[in-house]
Amino acid sequence: MTPPSRTLTRAEADAFGGELDALRAEVLADLGQRDVDHIRAVIRTAHRAEAAGRLLLHVGLGPVSFVLGSGALALAKILDNMEIGHNLMHGQYNWTRDPALDSSYEWDASCDAGDWRHYHNFEHHTFTNILGKDRDIGYGFLRVSPEQRWYPRHLSQPIVATFLAMNFQWGVATHDLRIEEVSSGKQTWAQLRERARPFLRKAGWQLAKDYVVFPALALGNAPRVVAGNLLANLTRNLWTFAVIFCGHFPDGVRFFHQDEIVDESRGQWYLRQLAGSANIEGGSTFHVMTGHLSHQIEHHLFPDLPASRYPEMAPRVREICERYGQRYCTGSFARQLGSVVGKILRYALPGGQRAPRAAKPAPVEIETVRERELARAA
Amino acid sequence: MQSDLLRTFTRRLFLDRQAAFWLDQLHATWSPREIRARVVEVITETPDARTFVLRPNRHWTGHRAGQHTTVEVEIDGVRHRRCYSISSAPSDPRVAITVKRVAGGRVSSWLHEHVRPGHVLRLGPAAGDFVLDPDPAEAAAPLLLLGGGSGITPLMSILRDLDDRDAVRDVVLVVHARRRDDVIFGRELEAIAARHAGLRLLVHLDDLDEARLARLVPDFAARTTLLCGPAGLMARVERMWATAGATARLRREQFAAPPVTVPAPGAPIAIRLAASARTVAADGAGTLLDQLERAGERPPSGCRMGICQTCKCRKRSGVVENLRTGAISSDPDEYIQLCISRGRSDLELAL
Repeated sequence: MTPPSRTLTRAEADAFGGELDALRAEVLADLGQRDVDHIRAVIRTAHRAEAAGRLLLHVGLGPVSFVLGSGALALAKILDNMEIGHNLMHGQYNWTRDPALDSSYEWDASCDAGDWRHYHNFEHHTFTNILGKDRDIGYGFLRVSPEQRWYPRHLSQPIVATFLAMNFQWGVATHDLRIEEVSSGKQTWAQLRERARPFLRKAGWQLAKDYVVFPALALGNAPRVVAGNLLANLTRNLWTFAVIFCGHFPDGVRFFHQDEIVDESRGQWYLRQLAGSANIEGGSTFHVMTGHLSHQIEHHLFPDLPASRYPEMAPRVREICERYGQRYCTGSFARQLGSVVGKILRYALPGGQRAPRAAKPAPVEIETVRERELARAA
Repeated sequence: MQSDLLRTFTRRLFLDRQAAFWLDQLHATWSPREIRARVVEVITETPDARTFVLRPNRHWTGHRAGQHTTVEVEIDGVRHRRCYSISSAPSDPRVAITVKRVAGGRVSSWLHEHVRPGHVLRLGPAAGDFVLDPDPAEAAAPLLLLGGGSGITPLMSILRDLDDRDAVRDVVLVVHARRRDDVIFGRELEAIAARHAGLRLLVHLDDLDEARLARLVPDFAARTTLLCGPAGLMARVERMWATAGATARLRREQFAAPPVTVPAPGAPIAIRLAASARTVAADGAGTLLDQLERAGERPPSGCRMGICQTCKCRKRSGVVENLRTGAISSDPDEYIQLCISRGRSDLELAL
């Protein structure tokens, strides 16, 4: 493993940020036909895979067409979630002014796109890996770092994590509801009801689509279609869980305390994004299947640049990191996933070596949009 | 109500997206909602003007003579829209737009260089009130059509319409151009004039000042006048009609917005919020988000550093500077991020 990152002075951090800004500007100026051709090709593949999958499930007979159909549908859902949905919703293609490529995209998943844009684009990407601020750290119920306090409930986390992996889209969908805040008293039932509205609406339609409308269209083949949709959703859930957990939780990724980021400059923000993310190595098809979240580092540095540019930016980002003595956490899928599984098992138990922290007791109060909206509605 | 329900159903089940995709795959002009048109003919009118004859799909609901349409093209992955007057008659199932190539004009140059028969363009519905009143009194009144340069295009549609309906009774058409080669539709205008004794065609290649215009059309003040042309000509005509007390009979179509002068950052600007019909005075120094919040507005916002897109909003008009890239943009109807944009002119936002 590479040595830990050198601590940079503010001036050094800003020079580091300046180099990344220059790289960003260079790619921004070069965006064009190639980028829209790429995303449209992926959209085309997803639509064709969905049509093929549904056709095989609806009119096919026998196990071969069932497995192929479910697989094609899973492929469509994975592409829609990752390379298409996640990336469009980040606004990576807003510069095209094509309404079909706009960040207002709604994806084929139970999570409401508006909820997602709020907690992911804003909260997670702004407050990445800040303990107590980034609710993506262990998603509020898993202990993936020794910095998180241990509670006896963490003993069950290997089972809980398996359950989450199988139903990942529902974890993603309910994440913005902050259900755990009801038991801790930070949120009332009435607030939860209000908050849950977009989720309930979206989830209802998704369930109706996959398990009522499409099966009904298949008439006698309805049970087969239900099973195929379940299998496709399960496949997508396991895949997205694996990719996303490898983004921030493998060894070599660090977490931050709120007092470490007081008065953070743009350069320091870049450093935190780098230190808080991990890449997965692989080929170009693998990268597309992960929505280029295999380039989690580049994604966190440049969340609004088309993700298909990350592979060509990565060597340059890495070179900049080396010059500034910064760790660039990357590894094979097996290594990163193994590391994440290891942590879920290890931190189910109390203890663990904590990283040293800078002590500056000045809690930051950062109000979220949703909190503001709810306060206004109340 | 029923169609609303159906719309919700198709949207929630992504059937609208599927339909749009598969229709497009099957045929380039098929779309559930978009007006798309195939270019069937490209006519070179003058060295720098071309007519694109289009066959729109069934979403096109026709136009009134004198109206314009919005043409959307994709250049190197980015969509651009421009308004062009329709030059064909409403009775013609083929819609023609005539485009003069503007020096440095991205869209007009692209249309000239790249668009050939077979290409497909996206259109907006016909719009604009530069039309003849269908009221019979006005229809019977003497007309003056005054076009400078490419300003002839909407007038051509009006003239073709009158010709179609054999309603050319007392029309004076003044065409102003720099050189005879620059007169768009020259031959066809002469042909129409030859068919109708009621049409007086005056092609004027010199400077068209007040005295000359008064000599050409002595009874101008008594005519319903439709004017379209370069800014200088339009200003002269407006002054002249105002002096004669005939402003009420003058109808005008302006092609290009008057040039925007970009004031230095920090100059006072007014931000009009369309949805709340409120106008906020700002000093143009900080980001638009800061300015609006200072004025008591609470637009949705998030990261305040340009990454989360929560504060994305539609700018209807005005000039903004992107503080992350330094780009200055005056495009109408574009999305901007409030937290990284600075106002560089009066603005209208869809907030």
